[in-house]
Amino acid sequence: MFALSLLRRSAITLAAALLLGGAALANSGPLVTTDWLEKNLSDPKVRIVEVSVEPGLYERGHIPGAQNVVWHTDLVDTVERDIAKPEKFQALARKLGLDKDVTIVLYGDSNNWFAAWGAWVFDIYGLRDNVKLLDGGRKKWELEKRPVSTNPLTAKASAFTVAEPNRKLRARLADVVATVEKKSEARVLDIRSADEFSGKIIAPAGFQELALRAGHIPGSVNVPWAQAVNQADGTLKSPEELKKLYANVGIDGSKPVITTCRIGERSSHTWFILSRVLGYQVANYDGSWTEYGNTVGLPISNPAGTVWGGK
Amino acid sequence: MSLSDESGALDYQRARETTMAAPAAVAERASGLSRGILAALGLTALLALAIIGIGRHGDPAPQLQLSLILGATFGFVIQRSRFCFLCIWRDWLDRRDPRGLLGIVTALAVGITGYTLIFGAWLPDPSGTRLPPTAHIGPVSLALVLAGLAFGAGMALSGSCLSAHLYRLGEGSPTAPFALLGAVGGFILGFQSWNGLYLWTIAGAPVPWLPRHLGYGGALATSLAVLAALAWLLLRKGSLPARPEPPRDPLVAVFRQRWPAWLGGLLVGLIGVAAYLRVSPLGVTAEIGSRSRQLAGAFELLPSRLEGLDSFRGCATVIRDTVLTPNGLFIAGLVAAALIAALAAGEFKPRRPTGGQALRGLSGGLLLGWGTVLGLGCTVGTLLSGISAGALSGWVFAAALGIGATATLKLGRWAGWPL
Repeated sequence: MFALSLLRRSAITLAAALLLGGAALANSGPLVTTDWLEKNLSDPKVRIVEVSVEPGLYERGHIPGAQNVVWHTDLVDTVERDIAKPEKFQALARKLGLDKDVTIVLYGDSNNWFAAWGAWVFDIYGLRDNVKLLDGGRKKWELEKRPVSTNPLTAKASAFTVAEPNRKLRARLADVVATVEKKSEARVLDIRSADEFSGKIIAPAGFQELALRAGHIPGSVNVPWAQAVNQADGTLKSPEELKKLYANVGIDGSKPVITTCRIGERSSHTWFILSRVLGYQVANYDGSWTEYGNTVGLPISNPAGTVWGGK
Repeated sequence: MSLSDESGALDYQRARETTMAAPAAVAERASGLSRGILAALGLTALLALAIIGIGRHGDPAPQLQLSLILGATFGFVIQRSRFCFLCIWRDWLDRRDPRGLLGIVTALAVGITGYTLIFGAWLPDPSGTRLPPTAHIGPVSLALVLAGLAFGAGMALSGSCLSAHLYRLGEGSPTAPFALLGAVGGFILGFQSWNGLYLWTIAGAPVPWLPRHLGYGGALATSLAVLAALAWLLLRKGSLPARPEPPRDPLVAVFRQRWPAWLGGLLVGLIGVAAYLRVSPLGVTAEIGSRSRQLAGAFELLPSRLEGLDSFRGCATVIRDTVLTPNGLFIAGLVAAALIAALAAGEFKPRRPTGGQALRGLSGGLLLGWGTVLGLGCTVGTLLSGISAGALSGWVFAAALGIGATATLKLGRWAGWPL
């Protein structure tokens, strides 16, 4: 009798180990599928974090068990133009129960735009390989009619210790100027729309014009960020397609890359693809055009010739 | 029999006297299917079709469809229960009849309780720097007081607040169209005076939210205690009129006779909670404000930038580039259902407006519109949805509005105006 129950128990343990092994395999890359996430919702080693652009979206219904991070207060310094300082990030990560020994799944609206930005900040502070994006984000989850919840959840706090900020992931103005002056071999990839890049317009429709000049950083190349996404369900294109998309403009991983946009947030989406999916060496320039284009005396490229928003 | 008096406002006392004098006129089911009831049935079918159509083709369908349903429910309830802030206030002022005010107290108590329930899920800890999403918690400034005073005066002049003008539109009121037209002008004046008042008093104003200071339990208990004290005061100082015989026929009770104010309040509170949970806080001015802004923009009557206006909670007037908006459908449903309710009750009595009614509507509407921009909402958006959300701004607006309405009524009557 005893032997039998022992046998049964070890069989269950074995099956569980196999299952868990399977789960670990399924999430070994930088992306997880909606299917995988729904199967692992109750896994105590999975933490789900929503980072959405639209305020109030999380509260009215989120992936069950997900916690909320508000990009414009939680992940930035609200006074200086900077990402959250290390102490602030550490406090947030501890409160959400995040650490290196759990799988952290980030997702959000607008094709994971700000979820990817969250992944960039997480990476700077030492949370990298265990941080995944939910492929397709909110869009795919909703399209597949998966359940959402509004119940609050309090995670058990972690003892996470923040790492020294990883400078290699973040480009500053000097790094970009070095590429313009040919003192650096890094390639600058601008992910804004073609009209912003050419200087026809300063900011996309509905956004404030925060730069005084139109155009782009000399020598930079342009691949609008949304080209990397399958419009139907918001998932990323296949690594082969992505590789080709960027190789077309000469970004092939042979040289370090700097991603840039208007304020450095859309570009983190492309940063995630190049850095985490394709494994290139990439830094995101969060100063972006609102810093570079506003700096006195720097050369710019302005093919459209727009000055002060007009000709 | 029409329950509306000359100024366009409902007179409870007159309605009651008529009811008591000739109970057959109101309390009886119409014999057979009258024209009004047939029209109401036809319109109900059309409304149902609109609800189904928007559910199929709307984008985003769930929000648009639900807004239309909630608007229709709200319109039906406020028409049936006469949920008109000015009439209720006049009943108290002129006759010490507390029933309407007790209805508002009921709506607020239900609203606060329901909002607290939702807040607990959406923002478990209220002590941080964050506010619950989209809840109408506004800045408390001198501009808010001015807005309340103007809004109160506009109510007294035009015969009711904006939400009541909308349901009166469904009753064929001669004043309501002019009041709504005047409100568009008031909105435009409001946008023009916004920047000055913003820099003078709104920009630096605090945005007090009771749960942040008292916790959810504390804020709920305090608010309910204040409302209980108000109810006690109303019952003590007021005089309840003799209770009329309740109708035996349930159809008459629902469709022909006026609902008691407490029932209206209860339902208004519940609709407010449902709207906050599923769409956005209850408000009736976002669409009118947004369209006025569009209009003003087209005629170059708008400042090139409205400082900070769109960053505040309340009835947002951001210009939308879609034809159908949730608030637009809410208003459409409100007016349609009020018309249906009025038709069924035999209260749809369109009349040709007199010059005095047009003038009072336009001038009162102007004040209503101006007060709505500066107060970031009206009796529904700022008072009801604000107080429900635990916002001090809701209470301040309510107090200022009471003072504005009372002073205008007294001064106007002294000057011989038919208010």
